[in-house]
Amino acid sequence: MTNEQAKEYLSTLRASGADEADPTLQEALELARTDSELGSWLAQQREFDKILVEKFASISPPEGLRETILETLEETARPIRSWRMGWFALAATIVLAALLLGQKVDLFRGPSRLFQSFRSDALAMVAVKPAPKLDLETPSLETAEAFIAAHDAPRLEQFPQKLQAMATAGCRVFIWRQHPASLTCFRLPSGNLLHAVVIRADAVGKEDMPSRPYSENGWHLMFQKKAGLLVMWASQAPMEELKQFIET
Amino acid sequence: MAKKIDLQAIVSEHYAALYRFGLALAKNESEASDLTQETFFILAKHQEQIRDPERIKPWLFTTLRREFLRKVRAHAAHPEVEFQPDEHEIPAIESSQLRTIDGRTALAALETVEESYRSALELFYLGDLSYKEISATLGIPIGTVMSRLSRGKEQLRRALATALEGDPHKIIPLPESRSPEA
Repeated sequence: MTNEQAKEYLSTLRASGADEADPTLQEALELARTDSELGSWLAQQREFDKILVEKFASISPPEGLRETILETLEETARPIRSWRMGWFALAATIVLAALLLGQKVDLFRGPSRLFQSFRSDALAMVAVKPAPKLDLETPSLETAEAFIAAHDAPRLEQFPQKLQAMATAGCRVFIWRQHPASLTCFRLPSGNLLHAVVIRADAVGKEDMPSRPYSENGWHLMFQKKAGLLVMWASQAPMEELKQFIET
Repeated sequence: MAKKIDLQAIVSEHYAALYRFGLALAKNESEASDLTQETFFILAKHQEQIRDPERIKPWLFTTLRREFLRKVRAHAAHPEVEFQPDEHEIPAIESSQLRTIDGRTALAALETVEESYRSALELFYLGDLSYKEISATLGIPIGTVMSRLSRGKEQLRRALATALEGDPHKIIPLPESRSPEA
C-alpha cells in the first residue's frame, strides 16, 4: 500500500474514533505508525475533522423541533390504536380476505417482504424524472457492461438479442442492503427507457416472485431469474414493446 | 420478530444530527425541519418492520436523503463525474484559524464542494456515519466512498482556506463568549 492509497483509507476514520478497530483500515493505520510523514498527515487530518465536527455540531435545531416531532408521532399513533377497535378490525379483516381471494394470492407463498422491498426501492430509483441518476452515461452497451464489471457489480452475461443492438443511456452500480447491484438503461425506439436492475437472486430471498409481466403506477415490470441473478425489467413503454425486447 | 422500538429515545438521540443533515441538503431551516419530521413520521409508520435497531441511524439518514431527493427529482439529473486529484498543493490551515469560524461558515464552505463528494462528506461530518454506512446510504461502492471522502476533504480544505484568507468578510469570527459551545 502506498502512502496515497493509505490516505484514502485513513480519510474514512471518524473523529469519534469509532473506526479504530476496523480490520479494513489496519494496514493503513500501521503504515501511519511507522511512516512519520503519513503519521503527521493523519494527525493533521484528525485535528481538521475534529474541529469541523465540533463546528457542525454547534448548529442548533430550531427550538421546539424535538417536541413538535414527538407530538406529531403521538398523533400518528392514535389511528393505529383505534384500528384495534373490534368492529373496525373485523371490517378490515373481511376487506383483506376479499382482496387476497380476488387476487388469488396465497398468504404463505406470496412474494417475500424482502423481495417487495427490493422491487419498491428499485422502482423508486428508476422512476426518478426526467431520468434516474447514472454513474456513466454512454450509448454503448459494451462500455456500460465493462463499467459494471470493473466495479464488481452483478450483470447479465448476455442481454436478450434484440437489446444487444440498442443504444443505452448508461449505467449505475449501487449497493442494496449490502448487496452490489447494477442498473443498465436502454433507449427504446419509442423514446422510452428500459431499465434492467440486476442483483444476486439470493439477496432478495428465495420466495416466489411474479412470474408474469404486470403493471404498477404506469410502469410495466417483469422479473426473471438467470444464472443465480434476479433481473427486474422496468419501463413506461407499452407492455407489448417491453415484451418484444425482453422475451426471447 | 421485530423488536419494539423506543421512538421517543430515537427522536431525542438523532433529531439534531438529522436536522443538520437536512439543512446541508436543503439549505433552508424550515425545509430541514420538515424533512426531519417527515423522516421520523416514516419511521413511525414502518416501525414494525425494523428488525435490527442497530441499523436505525443509517436508515434515518437514508430516508431523509431519499425524501429530499424525491422533492427535487423534477430537477435535471446530474451525471456523476469523478474528478482527478487536483495537482495544486492543498493549502495548510492552522487549527487556530479553523477554530475561528462558526458552524454556518463551515456549512457554507461544505456547500461549495462538488456535489458527488459533498454527499459523502455530509454523511461523514453531520451524520457520523461510517464509510460502510455511507456506501449503503448513497448506493455506491466502498472504494468510491473512500476516494470521495479523501478528495472531498481536499476540496473542503481549499474552500475553507479560500474563505479564511481570500475574503475576510465572509468569515465572522465569534468571540469566545458568543460561541455556542461556551
